[in-house]
Amino acid sequence: MSIVATASIAIQRRFGRQRLRQYILGSIPFVVLISAWHMNTVFEWLPPVFIPAIGEVWDAFFILQEDCAGVGAALTLDNSCLMSTHILSSIGRVILAAVIGLPFGIAFGILAGMSRPISKILEPIGIFANSISGIAWIPLAIVWFGVGWMTTLFIMLNTIFWLMFFNSMMGVRGVARVYEQSVLTMGGNRLDVITQVYLPGAMPSIISGMRMSMGFGWRALIAAEMIGGDSGLGFMIFSSAEEFKIEEVFLGVIIISLIFLATDRYLLMPLEKWTIHRWGLVWKPT
Amino acid sequence: MLSRSNLNRLAAFWRHFPAANAVNLTLIIIGIMLVWLLISNTIENPARYLPSPIQVVLSSFDMIYKGLLPSYFGDTITRLVVGSSIGLALGIPFGLLLGLNRTVADMFYPMMNFFQSVSGIAIFPIVVVWWGNSDKTVLAVILYTSFFPIAFTVLSGVREVPLRYIHAARTLGASRYQIIRDVLLPGSMPHIATGSRLSIGFAWRAVIAGEMLAGREGLGWMIFTGQDADKTSEVILGMVMIGVSWIILDHYLLRPFEADTIERWGLVQR
Amino acid sequence: MPAKLVVEGLTHHYPDEYTGESVHALEKINLEVDEGELVTVVGPSGCGKSTLLNILAGLLPYREGIASVDGVQISGPGSDRGVVFQEHAILPWRSVAKNIGHGLEIKGMAKEEREARVKDFVDLVGLSGFEDKYPHELSGGMKQRCAVARTLCADPVIMLMDEPFAAVDAQTRITLQEELNRIAIATKKTIMFITHAVDEAAFLGDRCFVFSARPGRLKAIVNINIPRERRIWADMNADEEFVSSRDEILRLVREEVSVAVEE
Repeated sequence: MSIVATASIAIQRRFGRQRLRQYILGSIPFVVLISAWHMNTVFEWLPPVFIPAIGEVWDAFFILQEDCAGVGAALTLDNSCLMSTHILSSIGRVILAAVIGLPFGIAFGILAGMSRPISKILEPIGIFANSISGIAWIPLAIVWFGVGWMTTLFIMLNTIFWLMFFNSMMGVRGVARVYEQSVLTMGGNRLDVITQVYLPGAMPSIISGMRMSMGFGWRALIAAEMIGGDSGLGFMIFSSAEEFKIEEVFLGVIIISLIFLATDRYLLMPLEKWTIHRWGLVWKPT
Repeated sequence: MLSRSNLNRLAAFWRHFPAANAVNLTLIIIGIMLVWLLISNTIENPARYLPSPIQVVLSSFDMIYKGLLPSYFGDTITRLVVGSSIGLALGIPFGLLLGLNRTVADMFYPMMNFFQSVSGIAIFPIVVVWWGNSDKTVLAVILYTSFFPIAFTVLSGVREVPLRYIHAARTLGASRYQIIRDVLLPGSMPHIATGSRLSIGFAWRAVIAGEMLAGREGLGWMIFTGQDADKTSEVILGMVMIGVSWIILDHYLLRPFEADTIERWGLVQR
Repeated sequence: MPAKLVVEGLTHHYPDEYTGESVHALEKINLEVDEGELVTVVGPSGCGKSTLLNILAGLLPYREGIASVDGVQISGPGSDRGVVFQEHAILPWRSVAKNIGHGLEIKGMAKEEREARVKDFVDLVGLSGFEDKYPHELSGGMKQRCAVARTLCADPVIMLMDEPFAAVDAQTRITLQEELNRIAIATKKTIMFITHAVDEAAFLGDRCFVFSARPGRLKAIVNINIPRERRIWADMNADEEFVSSRDEILRLVREEVSVAVEE
């Protein structure tokens, strides 16, 4: 048996036939696209001002980071380390907004789910806030906070909070009353009901809401950085486009989607899957 | 004559209106207005930071008189309709194709996943380099954002048509084409409706963002220039318009359409 | 007269969905079903009854043995074999009449001719007045009547039924069984009826095939010589032939269940 055949059998065993087929088939469009991109540079179908060379995009990363004084400067978001500053400030905002927005959204959502009067007031406000869509808040945020960190953070918080609020509220409403009654008959108080019935009962919905709000929040953040930011990946692609540095735009767009894909696939999706299985429900890929 | 039975009849008649809800909503809106009024009267320079509701209403009269508000509104809606209908017209057949053929699906799924994660707004800078601040740019962004949600939903719609329906049609002697026509297409109709609503929602956001970024006239542009020109009352007016139009569109057009499709195709558990 | 359905030496293995191990479902099945006969197939769960039906329906490819209808070897689904499925498999987006006429529509029959034929079968299964209703507006029993009418309307050589009355309540099931008996008299259709309920098997069958636990073998054939016209549930418990056949089938099935439990 030839080496190729042996290797092919080994690979098939390792990944499974079906999986392998999917990997190979799935990679075809990427290969085609990347080759077309490269051929465009070679044959100059579209000028390099519109489609940069692959090498240029790769180099742009290092050119932007060229003047960086070291790890210390990169971590303090020094302006000399352009690339890392943009990446870190975007990620920093996401983390900050998540740390503030998620707990508040969940807390208000659970409260509204438990109490009719509260939900009667908050729900219409939430529906309205959600329909304005995070992006439409940007001009007003600029008026209030000026261009910069506060505006971008506000836009993302606003998006996260209301999504989280709705998902937690719906989660709590979906919890069967019997569970509450059973805790109460066993001598539990209101706090016990919240911590032992509503919070765990609403958990699958809360986790799904987290995944959803991070997706929407990330998009809103990029838009906010473009219009009302002075740093971050959104700011980077927008200002590079104004200077016609198309290679930097491509680089930024690729980094934006890679960060989102990585967080979603390797952090949020497994978390969602785990919770839903753990709570005895069936997870459907979205 | 206002007899007792007439009164009862009147009460029964009144119950048909969601009056309780409407009163509730009105009270909440009035409450918010009062808080808003209070805040704008206590802060310094309210014209810049938070103009009172009265000023917003006045500015709306001004803009309606000048004909700006209706024209902006019309522009935005036109973009939404044109952009999302092209997006749906491309996305639905593509989703169907992917749902019907496993090989095609395996091939394009990862790539679609990648492009979906590049949000439509993020590709704006690329498109703007290609076509400048034009309507074409805004349309491209709307198209991009509305295409993927509908394609993914339709794909899962076709996949979720229960196998027993397909088996039943096959034992009746149906050909592949007949199975697609009689089973898979109608079976995925509810998903097509849901996906359309989702896609139009995404497109709405994209229209607003696109108008702001590309500077094309419309509601998004109105709030953006309002901020530039220090006319905060126009910014807030634009935001209210954006919110209200979406609520009307979603609650009175898209949601009923979705519910109706799902019911018509008999997939409601009753 | 040659048999309508002939199965010879049919053996089937399939890979288990979760473990991937090969499951031996059927072992050398030999059976024949004659024209106009209603045979029931009964056996413990997992004995391969449904596998057999799927093979006969053409939904499951088989390698070992022969299965043929009217002398034509089975190689895929076809309108010569109609199937009534266990779950509700009538299309929810088609009205009752449209569902019943679906098979004819697939064949390309003209509209007027089709509608006239559909009318007959709507009447046959007692769904008159419900032609324009949608499946979600029907009760479980009516849905299955609609499924039976759909299958019959396509005029198959043989009708295969896979535990069609398992999901309805006990009262409705009795009615449906009597209705099926009436339909069998009226249409003289060749029917193979799969069930796990011994009562049902004895009540409906001219003959009853009892299957063994996995791998499924044809363990015994019980003849039930009761004229169709006399088969009414109210009289059955007093009918010696019925009681003895039922007890015989019950004994045969119980042996298999205990074997399966011991394993």
